[in-house]
Amino acid sequence: MNKLSTSAKIYLTLVFIVLYAPIFYLIFYSFNSGGSMNNFESFTLEHYQAVFEDSRLIVILINTVIVALLSAFISTVIGTLGAIGIVSLKDAKMRNTLLSLNNVLIVSPDVIIGASFLILFTMIGIKLGFVSVLLAHVAFSVPIVVLMVLPKLLEMNSSLIDAALDLGATKKDVMMRVILPYIQPGIFAGFFLALTYSLDDFAVTFFVTGNGFSTLSVEIYSMARAGISLTVNAISGLVFLVTILVVIGYYVMTSRTRKRTEGRP
Amino acid sequence: MKQLIQATIAILVVSALLFYAAHTLSASGGNSGKNTVTIFNWGEYIDPNLLKQFEKETGMRVIYETFDSNEAMMTKIQQGGTAYDIAIPSEYMIEKMKEEKLLLPLDKSKIPNLKNIDPYFLDLPFDEDNQYSIPYFWGTVGIVYNPNYVGDLDFSSWNDLWDPSLKRKVFLVDGAREVMGMGLNSLGYSLNSLDNQQLRQATDKLITLAPNIKAIIGDEITPLMINNEATVALTWSGQAADMLSENEELDFAVPQEGSNLWFDNMVIPKTSKNLEGAHAFINFMLKAESGAQNADYVGYSTPNLAAMALMDEEVVTDERFYPSEEQRDTLEVYKNLGPDYLGKYNELFLEFKMSIR
Repeated sequence: MNKLSTSAKIYLTLVFIVLYAPIFYLIFYSFNSGGSMNNFESFTLEHYQAVFEDSRLIVILINTVIVALLSAFISTVIGTLGAIGIVSLKDAKMRNTLLSLNNVLIVSPDVIIGASFLILFTMIGIKLGFVSVLLAHVAFSVPIVVLMVLPKLLEMNSSLIDAALDLGATKKDVMMRVILPYIQPGIFAGFFLALTYSLDDFAVTFFVTGNGFSTLSVEIYSMARAGISLTVNAISGLVFLVTILVVIGYYVMTSRTRKRTEGRP
Repeated sequence: MKQLIQATIAILVVSALLFYAAHTLSASGGNSGKNTVTIFNWGEYIDPNLLKQFEKETGMRVIYETFDSNEAMMTKIQQGGTAYDIAIPSEYMIEKMKEEKLLLPLDKSKIPNLKNIDPYFLDLPFDEDNQYSIPYFWGTVGIVYNPNYVGDLDFSSWNDLWDPSLKRKVFLVDGAREVMGMGLNSLGYSLNSLDNQQLRQATDKLITLAPNIKAIIGDEITPLMINNEATVALTWSGQAADMLSENEELDFAVPQEGSNLWFDNMVIPKTSKNLEGAHAFINFMLKAESGAQNADYVGYSTPNLAAMALMDEEVVTDERFYPSEEQRDTLEVYKNLGPDYLGKYNELFLEFKMSIR
């Protein structure tokens, strides 16, 4: 990698400061014993304690993570198969149509997706709660996974598959031992992107939560009506920590894959 | 491939563990039907310990969920798919939900603690004879200000807002009823006025306030006042109580010409699956001890006389938040104006907003 010039370094530092300052500002005040974001009095962990004592908040936090993990997992399975299906289509017109339909879902506003889910779920009689939130999250994550997996599939040389078939591989073998390993980085990228989308989604979730089931973003939003209490800071700090862990997890996984593929001739 | 399988297993195991954790944390009793009470309340609007006490006392499990606006709450209930046993909307929304047949009538024989509530807050026009709702918290609309920056003004009259020294210093809440009500009150008219001439006069008077207006905003006013970035604001007493508890310099006044009296009341939506539990919860919240504990925690004014007897005397004799009998006579609850006049109020409010530059 080329050495960066001094001005480029300064610019980069500034950009990162601007991006991260609000988050650290928020986390900094979560340790404030003063009770508000005005002046920092002294260091305390009482706000974190308040979060852990409030079992409802913890349940909401856990629910948020469960929904994120499961919806990302399910949408990765569906999205990967979908992407393979789209690529294997012979008819170019059909393929483009499907791709455009997929992209429309990504660009359409969350509010509209959320409202239509609310109407759909209540019409077919699904009780609002865990299931409705999970289904909605799967639905908006699938197109993202498709988009992440697709480039890997297109990049793959189709003669690889022909070669495998020539050498006597069954269709199942081709799928399990040629296609899936090749597109694995795309699958992981899709999974993690879906995970973060689900973790921070507000607009869609807002419409489909109910009956006491709620996720963190929705809960924080209604807490903030009464002014941001430092409990919100503390819980945001925790979520930030979780996000960092997810990023590290992603890094470890991808670098392990890279090492293995690099190790092979 | 091995990695994909490993990852899949890891995800499923972690989800299962979390599921188990959430389940053990939230389930101490049965989990559906008769044994749970689902409560739908504003964010940060109850002392969480009260929910635990209620669970302990009745053996029922509480599912608690919050909303951020009356409209969002009504949509959730109207759409179905939910099973709220208790909701706590504001008075104008109760009227609307009543019209839409979204509420169930209360069985008062199951709410003996109703006797604790100040009769002044019962049998009001938005819900006559309290067929559907019981007061939870109440308040007024007034002016929160920082005495260090406003000279001798004490805002005992709405007309203090027109003082030339307040040029570009006044913040207003973005609500047609609140602002138009202030204009009407300042002229000595009712804030439910249906007299076109009075409305015209009030609007003209409001337009002369324009040079003093800094901004018309919503909940963002709370941090601005707390951080001394704003000096004078028209707001609800509940919000003002929040501000005063954060910034001791601030003061609050309800002008003498009159003001609005608002309520957040407990109701049972038609989606309720546990009427017994809903009534038990209302009765529990009306107990003197619960009322006092909740008012201490939330900081709003309680309508519960028995609870006030248990609270800090300094708090309940504070006439800014518990107005005297005499001042109570000047307060009015918003009446349903009907769509025509509501439109008119909005139109005039817009005209006033347009005059600010």
